[in-house]
Amino acid sequence: MLARRPFFWIITAVLAVFAILPVLGNNVELRESLIIAALYITLASNLNLMLGYAGYINFGSIVFFGLGGYVCVWLVSAYAWPLYAAIPAAGICVSALALLFGLGILRLRGAFFALATIGVNEGVQAFVENFSPWGGSSGIYLSPIIFKPFGGPAQGLWVIYFSMVAVMGLSLYLSYAIKVSKFGLGLLAIGQNEDAAAILGVPTPLYKALVYSVSAFLPAIVGGLYFLKSSFIQPADAFDLTLSTEVIVIAMLGGQGTVTGVALGAYLYEELRGFLLTSETFSHFQLVVAGVLLLVIVLFFPSGMMGFVYRQFPRTQKVLE
Amino acid sequence: MKPFCALLAVATMIVTPAFAADTSSITIGFTASRTGPLNVDSTGQERGFEFWRDEVNSKGGIQVGDKRYQVKFASYDDQSVGGRVQQLYTRLVNQDKADFLFSPYSSGLTAAAAVISEQYGKIMIDSGGAEEKPFQLGSKHLFMVITSAGHYLSGAIAALKEKNPHAKIAMVYSDDPFSKTVLAAAKEQAKEAGLEVVMDESYAPSTTDFGPIVNKIISSNADAFMGGGHYSDGATLARQMYDQKANLKWISILVAPADDKFSELGAAALGVTVPSQWEPQVNYKPQFGPTTEEFAKAFEAKLHQKADYHVASGYTAGVVLQHAIEKAGSLDTEKVAKALDQTDVTTFFGHIKFAADPKHHGLQVAHEMVLAQWQKANGEVARQVVWPTSAKSADLIYPINAGH
Repeated sequence: MLARRPFFWIITAVLAVFAILPVLGNNVELRESLIIAALYITLASNLNLMLGYAGYINFGSIVFFGLGGYVCVWLVSAYAWPLYAAIPAAGICVSALALLFGLGILRLRGAFFALATIGVNEGVQAFVENFSPWGGSSGIYLSPIIFKPFGGPAQGLWVIYFSMVAVMGLSLYLSYAIKVSKFGLGLLAIGQNEDAAAILGVPTPLYKALVYSVSAFLPAIVGGLYFLKSSFIQPADAFDLTLSTEVIVIAMLGGQGTVTGVALGAYLYEELRGFLLTSETFSHFQLVVAGVLLLVIVLFFPSGMMGFVYRQFPRTQKVLE
Repeated sequence: MKPFCALLAVATMIVTPAFAADTSSITIGFTASRTGPLNVDSTGQERGFEFWRDEVNSKGGIQVGDKRYQVKFASYDDQSVGGRVQQLYTRLVNQDKADFLFSPYSSGLTAAAAVISEQYGKIMIDSGGAEEKPFQLGSKHLFMVITSAGHYLSGAIAALKEKNPHAKIAMVYSDDPFSKTVLAAAKEQAKEAGLEVVMDESYAPSTTDFGPIVNKIISSNADAFMGGGHYSDGATLARQMYDQKANLKWISILVAPADDKFSELGAAALGVTVPSQWEPQVNYKPQFGPTTEEFAKAFEAKLHQKADYHVASGYTAGVVLQHAIEKAGSLDTEKVAKALDQTDVTTFFGHIKFAADPKHHGLQVAHEMVLAQWQKANGEVARQVVWPTSAKSADLIYPINAGH
């Protein structure tokens, strides 16, 4: 059914471009930059399920990414699991855990919920810092040997890259599929007015817990991939609240609730930062430039980039979801 | 006139690269944490790199066979983030065509960069990460010039044992990877030396009130204190132990007392010891590179500030690489790696030699930390080197309870 809509093919085309670009001319540098872009797109579009659809601000969404990384790295380092088994296992474990967390904290709303998500992140970080099988605050170091089945670290990184792009693609398809489904309609209703939605027969507690759990699955997997690639994980990197905040900024920048906007926001945000970081002219005040740009966007495009595009070109709304 | 000037400027710009191409150069790539939480320590290390480059270039460059090469840097801000480090090191190798790499600051970032250095087979000199783990993962191109975290307090334990073979030690330290590794190793070494550890406790890195902890130290009846973590917690601990009259005979604190700012504590600083990678008083007889005095004086003259051990270790990364390149007489990675494997040289920073066995390849095995103690001399509170005795600038004061 999805395949009949034009947006499905747009996502597929974007994926194809991501997959082919760095392969042309074996451009590893572009690959490194696209890996981070794919990471941001995955995190932002999964956050968007909670934020853009159901209207719940999750300040601690990074906890799924970090836990996924830990579960995956731990399975690989301590039990020598093959990568292709450890990565989905991380997704499933973290998703189940999110369902449990969700049943608890989703009784809260608004600012209380937002605070609770920070609490979950901080609590999990404190737990991991004292959990010796995961190396406590020193973290876990991986040997490059894990990439041996793929022919060494150099080839292994390509495998990680294509997996990252695939997960990014899944995130976009998933966001889109949910948006056009009955489940998505229910979430959007919750986002508009939760009480009214409940009266109209939307099973709000179930839907909220489900979306919380679903929005944990792919970030956990991408966390696994990312930390396998780094070959090193420690609590400070895995549960970094800055990344959580950045992802929220990205979603708002692109246009929360839209699939295209969030993906585009994430991509542009990462490319802009990468450019500022490596440009000789801007490298010393990259944060200033990024800050000013953010300010301009918030001031002049309050409904995000997609809001602006929709207003200027109303027809695009039928194609770009 | 104006158009002429502009034309001249353009012409100069076009011509300059042609001249530059004539002089050969070596490119060394690295990232520094110019933003983010690691900024302060990373800046010291980067100053060391830059100072080394300027010194080498002013002397004509690195000698390779009968040619001299100027040293050039390619560097970026890693924002203290591991993922960024890998992206930037990949760029350094592929786009900036770095011939050799220096490490970023901290063990975590070094581990991230080491993956890239190994993947592309580029030598990386580590002067900013003291964790041993990245060296146990089979890397052939990573070389550490500083003493690893496991040996930070071994000098302190040896010195304490000599003064009091039955000392009871309270170990209280920050809950971060570096401090935990240092103290876990120190605990083992204390047990081997027959010293008793009567307290072993960590605190959150953000702790600002150590009152309850100091009370626990007092009631543990310890003679000696070892611990701390970074600047603010270490300095606060020292002050509160003094204020609450902890009556300790020995205090060793990590990192904080190695900063000159520590003298602001006045009497509370007196007698406190600190393990240090390098101190300006240490007088090794270098077989290669400048003497300590030459290094410290030139640095102060140029940057109007004193060199601390992060500066010195950054500079040493350059000296050791230069030594290996000149010895190999080649810029070929494998030849230089072989020369590094065989390196056994004393520099102003101390003796440098790398482990050659595959299990710890590249780990520093010869460099020793010194133990410095804050003492009062001629009315001034200053750091003196007290251990090892061969490098001392003053006698170790024990017990220190006169001031406490």
